[in-house]
Amino acid sequence: MTRGLTRRQIGVTEEMIETFGDTIFRMSHNHQVRDGDPYRTLDWDEIERQREQMGLSDAQIAARIGLTQNQVLYIRTVLERRRFHTGHYVRLLELGGGKRFRTERFTPHLDHFTYSDDALELRAAMSFPPELAKKYVEEGWWRDDTLSGWLARHVDERPDAPAIRHGETTISYAELGGKAETLAGALLGIGIGPGDVVAVQLPNLPEFLIAFLAIARLGGVMQTVHMPYRAAECETLLKHSAAKAVICLSEAKDYAPAQTMRNLQNQCPKLKHVIALGPPVAGAQSLSDMIASELAGALPDPPVASDPFLLLYTSGTTAAPKGVPLSYHNMLSNARLGAPEHELGPDDVILSAAPFSHLYGAYSFHVAMAVGACNLLLPAFTPPGLAAAIDAGRPTALWTAPAHVAACMNAGLFDKTDLSTLRLVIMSGSACPPELVRAFQAKVPNGKVTQLWGMTETQGGLYSRPGDPPEVSAGSAGRPSPGTEVRIIDPETGSPRKPGEEGELQVRGPLLFPGYFKNDAATEAAFAHGGWFRSGDLAVEDDGGHVAITGRIKDVINRGGVKFNPRDVEDLLDGHPAIAQSAIVPMPDPVLGEKACAFVTLAPGAAAPTLEALAAYLLKHRIAKTKLPERLVVIDEMPLTPTRKVIKGRLAIPEA
Amino acid sequence: MARRTQDIDPAEAKAAIFEYCKRKGALAVGVADLEAVERICPPGYRPTDIMPRVKSVISLGVGGQTQGAWSVPAKALGYFGSTESRAYTITYGLSFMIESKFGVPSIYCPPDMDPDAGPRVPLQSLKVHAEIAGIGARSLAGDILLHPEYGYMYFASVFTELELPPDQPMATNPCPAPSCVNMYKQIGRTPCMKFCPVQCLDGEVDLETGEQKVMRYDMAACAEMTQQYETVPSAIMNAINASEPQDREDALFDPDNKMLWYKMSVGSGGLLAQCFECMRVCPIATKAPLADPILRHDAAEAAKAKTTKAAE
Repeated sequence: MTRGLTRRQIGVTEEMIETFGDTIFRMSHNHQVRDGDPYRTLDWDEIERQREQMGLSDAQIAARIGLTQNQVLYIRTVLERRRFHTGHYVRLLELGGGKRFRTERFTPHLDHFTYSDDALELRAAMSFPPELAKKYVEEGWWRDDTLSGWLARHVDERPDAPAIRHGETTISYAELGGKAETLAGALLGIGIGPGDVVAVQLPNLPEFLIAFLAIARLGGVMQTVHMPYRAAECETLLKHSAAKAVICLSEAKDYAPAQTMRNLQNQCPKLKHVIALGPPVAGAQSLSDMIASELAGALPDPPVASDPFLLLYTSGTTAAPKGVPLSYHNMLSNARLGAPEHELGPDDVILSAAPFSHLYGAYSFHVAMAVGACNLLLPAFTPPGLAAAIDAGRPTALWTAPAHVAACMNAGLFDKTDLSTLRLVIMSGSACPPELVRAFQAKVPNGKVTQLWGMTETQGGLYSRPGDPPEVSAGSAGRPSPGTEVRIIDPETGSPRKPGEEGELQVRGPLLFPGYFKNDAATEAAFAHGGWFRSGDLAVEDDGGHVAITGRIKDVINRGGVKFNPRDVEDLLDGHPAIAQSAIVPMPDPVLGEKACAFVTLAPGAAAPTLEALAAYLLKHRIAKTKLPERLVVIDEMPLTPTRKVIKGRLAIPEA
Repeated sequence: MARRTQDIDPAEAKAAIFEYCKRKGALAVGVADLEAVERICPPGYRPTDIMPRVKSVISLGVGGQTQGAWSVPAKALGYFGSTESRAYTITYGLSFMIESKFGVPSIYCPPDMDPDAGPRVPLQSLKVHAEIAGIGARSLAGDILLHPEYGYMYFASVFTELELPPDQPMATNPCPAPSCVNMYKQIGRTPCMKFCPVQCLDGEVDLETGEQKVMRYDMAACAEMTQQYETVPSAIMNAINASEPQDREDALFDPDNKMLWYKMSVGSGGLLAQCFECMRVCPIATKAPLADPILRHDAAEAAKAKTTKAAE
């Protein structure tokens, strides 16, 4: 309505608004131009000359261009509404108190960053039971920890302290902070922003950690891709994560990662950038150049602790990969609370034999960042490589897996290695034979060998502490990490197991992931009522609350209704002089349902034993007849996860 | 209205009016030349359009901030930058004072918008009144009037049939200040142009005289920052047009828009912050001995008497 009249009564059409709108708007008070100071000086000639540029009334405009006053009024107010941008007052919210408006520093709110649909989907996955989240906050477990915040603190407080040592190269925290910032700026320059997923397939090189910190600084999410993965695995993972960029090597020993990723861009349309470390690759950007670039422009606000920052995929013991989104709350609270339990501090030098692409390796980095310790790098595990890294780098803490230790011990490498600097060893990755822990402890004169149990979904769930008695560290994975609750449950009935009884280990706490990314069915299956995560691991808890991992539920063999965990049989086979490593899996049987099939790799130079000889060996060690393997398969190489855990799902039973 | 205007000495009346305004808190008072105002303002917006027998336009200005006020965050300055209500109070009283003292019809000029033309058009230009009355000069900051001694003020006007000797516009314009001219020489902009959050100000300074040459003001852009009433229908329109329920809810209930509803509530005089029922039953609030102004006065008098007695 205009002065009580409708648009039809006034006779205004959309075409009329189109024709005269801009003219009316400009002749009105909406734009004013004054030459000189004619009103103050009462210069009437100038006042008359400037009437139109100073703004006319509706009636004056109407007379000037031949419309009715009502038509001018209507059209002017329509234009004022259509051209009005809301929300401009927010520009005031950061002004005053010494801060003045600067055009060059201002981003119109409509141009502000907006999360992509993919990023929002990942953020939506960070859903935790509210009553548990409340508890984690109230208990102080979930705080404002972020990698960027920790790095900034170390740069500020201990700029010259070593953050990374790799061979002869040492990178201080100040240098690390600088490199991470410039890479973050370069990533921002190619369109990577908060919430975007960047995949990283790199060995444990300084560039891995620089990339991790740069992605984190941007508020991005790092997806790790294990080094052994090739095109098929990469395609599945990159599609699932909707990664916008991938950082990888230009070339590897038997594989061209950057070219492989370039080829995958056709199948993965969201993968916009391939960033390569090493010689130039056509169509790929140089990671080294990006790290060395100048920081141009401001970085976005740093992330906050509730943001997702890591997207890991379970280590392959299940057929389909499951994406595990993790927030700083989950991971860094666990690392912050864990560091004092492991008795680690800023002067420690931590060596991880596990790849950073795996949660266990990432945990070593998170703990190091929690305290500002030095990360001593071993690009890829080999027994001689680990021994040499310990000799040369003199670490005070070692993250390793039973298979790593066994390989070094079997090769006699630890007899020749100076292990005297080690104050702490953590062994994790698979159930750990007690005798291996004891044997390694005997080699470490000044340190404590401990065990840790964790999963991609949990990080450090259980661990023994350096002060624990030897029998605890050798015979169990220790006690829950701070804030973590565990329980042992009968997997079939769901009822609690008593101390000493085997059952499924279930976990709950601030460390726990929220659920699998874009996989509701897997999430549904993974959680029990009350937010308990079904680990799938079999465990026994003693009266002191120490939990020993005894196997995997999926490994249990059901032989004619008699169920057994083959772990003790495997431990015995691993001790057989002719066998390097063993794994027992169920094989279908028309009568009994399942029987045990043993896969073995042979010790160097050993002849393959017969099934009968192995059975005699096991019976001699008091293994029940029902648990004896009923088929033996000798293979050249055991399929292993990056933490040297056997991937039983890949052991294909050959035709009889 | 007992007295006839010919019995009133215009100069004495003007002095009495000015004295009243100053006593009530006006920083500056002036009388605008009616003929000049009538000539400048377009038809429909002249003093005679709302008071046909008006003889004089009295303009006054109030304002003033502490030095500290200029350093507060902008969001706070917005709340205490406006002092116009004090100006309206004084002119409202002045119109009664003139009628009472001189017996001549007077009106407080409504400082409001013209319902005939929408909310960007005032009924009367208080700015023109003040400028012609000589209590402010147009600045490069979108013609905001400035005074060399009182800075920027809020203005209000009284129209009266009492004929008063008019004042002259200010002889010189304090804008631009010498420091602003210096900045203009260096970067081609004055501080108000450079730091305007919506960049609605532009202009030129004569480098020889240091005076204003051109003032350009994008009032539409300024309104986007300052005229929040325009945002209210936009918020509702966004809610109507939103296809997603969450977007619709945000359009009505997000903090920015809830601030609008809050301000509308304040303007309506509705319940705000508290209902006072807790204070109604609070003995401290209800029985405070000096909450009553009469008791407070009595206490002050008693204290004064005690002091006097002690001195004796």
